[in-house]
Amino acid sequence: MHRITNTILALRGLSSGVWVIATLFVISLILVLVRQPEQEGDLQFWVFSPEHAEMYAPLIEEHDASHGVKLDMTVMSIAAIQSRMMSGFFGGLPTADLIEVEKAVAPQAFMGPVDAIGFHDLTDLLLEEGLLTQLNEPSLSPWSVDGRVFGLPHDVHPVMLAYRADITEAAGIDLTLAETWEEYFRMLRPLMEDKDNDARPDHTPLSFWYTNQDLIETLMLQGDGQLFTPSGQPVIANERNAFLLATIVSWCVGPDRVAIDINEWSASGHQEKVDGLAIGYIAPDWMCSIWKMHVPGLEGKLKLMPLPAFEPGGRRTSVRGGTMLGIPKTTQQFDRAWDYAKLLYTSPEVARQLYREVDIISPVRSLWDDPVYNEPDPYFMNQRKGRMYIELAPGIPLRPSSPYNKQAAIDVRDAALNLAEYANRNSVYNAEDLIPEAIRLLDRVQARVEQRMSRNAFAAEDLAAGDGEAQ
Amino acid sequence: MSTGGVDSRRVVFSWVMLAPFLVLFLVFVVYPLIQSAFLAANQTFGPGTRTFVGTKNFELLISDPVFWKAIRNTFIYALGSLFVQLPIAFLLALALNSPKLRGRGIYRLIFFSPQLMGLVFVSILGALAFEKRAGLINQALDAAGINDLLVWVTGNDAWLEPDWLQQHVMATLILISLWLYVGFNMIYFLAALQSVDKSLLEAAEIDGAGPWGKLRHVIFPSVKPVATFVILLSMIGSLQLFELPYILLESSGGPDNKGLTIVMYLYQNGFDLGDLGFASAIGWVLALILIGLALVQVKLTRAQEVNA
Repeated sequence: MHRITNTILALRGLSSGVWVIATLFVISLILVLVRQPEQEGDLQFWVFSPEHAEMYAPLIEEHDASHGVKLDMTVMSIAAIQSRMMSGFFGGLPTADLIEVEKAVAPQAFMGPVDAIGFHDLTDLLLEEGLLTQLNEPSLSPWSVDGRVFGLPHDVHPVMLAYRADITEAAGIDLTLAETWEEYFRMLRPLMEDKDNDARPDHTPLSFWYTNQDLIETLMLQGDGQLFTPSGQPVIANERNAFLLATIVSWCVGPDRVAIDINEWSASGHQEKVDGLAIGYIAPDWMCSIWKMHVPGLEGKLKLMPLPAFEPGGRRTSVRGGTMLGIPKTTQQFDRAWDYAKLLYTSPEVARQLYREVDIISPVRSLWDDPVYNEPDPYFMNQRKGRMYIELAPGIPLRPSSPYNKQAAIDVRDAALNLAEYANRNSVYNAEDLIPEAIRLLDRVQARVEQRMSRNAFAAEDLAAGDGEAQ
Repeated sequence: MSTGGVDSRRVVFSWVMLAPFLVLFLVFVVYPLIQSAFLAANQTFGPGTRTFVGTKNFELLISDPVFWKAIRNTFIYALGSLFVQLPIAFLLALALNSPKLRGRGIYRLIFFSPQLMGLVFVSILGALAFEKRAGLINQALDAAGINDLLVWVTGNDAWLEPDWLQQHVMATLILISLWLYVGFNMIYFLAALQSVDKSLLEAAEIDGAGPWGKLRHVIFPSVKPVATFVILLSMIGSLQLFELPYILLESSGGPDNKGLTIVMYLYQNGFDLGDLGFASAIGWVLALILIGLALVQVKLTRAQEVNA
């Protein structure tokens, strides 16, 4: 009794602040305990694109109803998927049963030995079910390690050149005759006058700049530039890469430069597109829907054509971006996850919707005959845009799945910047004259990538093997 | 005996009340700290791969030119904070402390308001303001003819359309952070100025001191402890710079790593490359720098106390 009285007295002595905190603690505790957890589905699916999620939702609902399963789809940012996926893989923690991964993120999961990759190897299944031959072959390269495929490709993302046909046609220029970049720039020279006296040409032939890492990579891939071999060895410092780097940097420097840096995503960049500051834009299929949404003022003014090549007879397309669907090894329901993967990535309905909603063509070749791809697109002066992209799809360049590719591409971008600074400092604007400096800068990039890779026990083995092969 | 019982109950009660904090502190501070020390001595790659490498991560760090670039950039920013941001904050505080100024409350709110918006929003606005051609800054410079003047002075055509976020990354970061932090630091200085002993100011005035004399002999010594605190707080915050360049430079270190900071380099290695061991080593180097700064603060504060 005495103890109880003492305790009560002690509690009465507490300040009102303590009582507020204690009350809040009790209320929160009750709320947490009483709250019913949300009903979780049988499988989890992480998606980074709300547009993709919108397309998948009706199909998933239908499949759920007919199979008595529930797939929970969660839309989260690319960065959130990256950190949750990698935390799961690094820490052996559960992740979703299906993860849609963007190209810049996926290779991180490919670090380490093949059998330690966090995604299921889908190669044998794809072969067994005849899917491997149905898919556009180069579209598998970013998701493959040592010939094993770890994700279903969502897209192809071939690249064309979108140009201001309203301006060129008014000037009597038929750009479709331009087979090489050199011809393209020469044909557009007459449009580079400065009639409004604002100290820059009224129209510049190409929207490109040496600081745009994605576009540098796209153009270097087009010109058969290579940063890594298919087995993952760095081959950055080579003559072809130096030629390509010197060529594309030469477009941006000097008094006769033919490229201009128009922001691809900002409102002011969109306005500059409408104003016709640049004539040509490097356009992967997905970019078309972005323009339709953000630059409606360009409707009926643009046309598409294959990219001009670096040399006569050279490649007329490239590739930019990409997404895969992977099934993590932590899933307890692989078969069900695989069923969903096939449904979402190989069904004609989704492929059709993918093109109609976001202008992306499917990597499943058997679906390329779909009439949807023949529909004229009023935004591009009624060109049959889908068919044009499909014709280029088999020719897209192969891309490495090296986890070091992202950093290497950043280093190459920095080399481009240093080369441009060198050109401006020394008034050297000719591509050929820039090649020796480009080689020197790429040597530096190669050394840096090799140093980075040498810290990875597995990559170090590859490097050593590469040296052996070279000898 | 009974007193002893009450004491032990008090001790138990105290521990119970402390327990939630202690548990969180041990789990989220002490354990990661110990773990990061172990990680710094390991090489980690891929799922669950770890190899003991001793001090190799630190050796590599010392010979890594990119790390030194990150150190250089971070210190440039810190010095920018020290010699640009804080003097402006102090001058603003002086101006807004003047009883002659009308609407002081409104001005204080205006200068402090960027803090309410947060770093991410300020970064996005900053990126828009510093856009190459259409950005507010370039438009203003162009309208005022400053671009032409700069081209004439430097002989460099790049000043016609300066690409702030590509060519002058650190200067741009310092300018954007002015908007964010000047008002914040101004509040500290304002609080210090308001606690300056009025009788000392009156005495100085009677002794014939002018505005500069009062500032030098009364105001500066009075706000010195707060200034020391603000300087060190600002330095420590600057050395931990991450979000601003991360958003402005689209999660990279900017062209040629011109905007790479120590924490960004840590993030790149830890989360982009999965090299948690190397990232931990960077973290420990940063921690040592910060501990060094904290020790300087302790020493300076003690010296001031002794002088007082």
